[in-house]
Amino acid sequence: MATWTWFHRLASPPHVYGFARRWAPWFGGFAAASMLIALYGGLVLAPEDYQQKDAFRMVYVHAPSAWLSLMIYTTMAVAAAVGLIWRMKVAHAAAAACAPIGAWFTVAALGTGMLWGKPMWGAYWVWDPRLTSELVLLFLYLGYMGLRAAIEDPGKADKASAVLAVVGVINVPIIKYSVTWWNSLHQTATVMQMGKPKMNGDMLWPLLLMFLAFALYFATVLLIRLRAELLRRERNASWVREVLT
Amino acid sequence: MSEFLAMGGYGKYLWPAFALGFGIVVLNFVMAVNSLANAKQEARRRLEIAR
Repeated sequence: MATWTWFHRLASPPHVYGFARRWAPWFGGFAAASMLIALYGGLVLAPEDYQQKDAFRMVYVHAPSAWLSLMIYTTMAVAAAVGLIWRMKVAHAAAAACAPIGAWFTVAALGTGMLWGKPMWGAYWVWDPRLTSELVLLFLYLGYMGLRAAIEDPGKADKASAVLAVVGVINVPIIKYSVTWWNSLHQTATVMQMGKPKMNGDMLWPLLLMFLAFALYFATVLLIRLRAELLRRERNASWVREVLT
Repeated sequence: MSEFLAMGGYGKYLWPAFALGFGIVVLNFVMAVNSLANAKQEARRRLEIAR
């Protein structure tokens, strides 16, 4: 029974609001520090690639953005499923808070990928399976936000958008494995693969640190957005008066 | 310094990519903080009306 206490606490808006207020500055501080160290490591300390030369350094912004776009969608779908199954309002609020962050990082992944594609492939855009499925991910995020905005009743908006989020999660493994399932211009996995990463250690540590920085950054922004979402949803609750006065 | 900025001739692609990526990092943070400030302001206004 005690093992479920934490889960029940997650369903309590004032508890989650307090947790978010306490922890966001810590996550944010560690995210900023690790991002700066990883940037220095990637741009200054890492040696150039023997094939791609200095162009390979785009990996330090492109790969974490792309990874985050998938991780955020998965988080959103899990939160939406929890909201649907256990009728947990906080879970729906978390899913709603994920969507704009995920959409922006999908834009970052596509934009930085285009800027990497031009010198490597000779084109900003090709209708490649990886690029196309990532573009579909952007449409899923936009569809989710559009659907929420179109339905006035918050309860109905939560349910309808949660169904879309859960169904759309099928696109996540499609993006991940598109480079192995189909012929693709995009390179296959370098770090996120079974066995040892294919990257040299001097290049790898800044990338792993940047992944950690982006994850902490996501936690920070999610917690801030979640507080805003909870205040809007719970505006008539007594705890809101307590935390604001 | 200019050699660092040139990035072996790839600077014209690399720096816009970093500007876009980290621009979005900053923008998302600012948008989240603004959203929270607006939500707090709205909630306070409602509390004053209800009083």
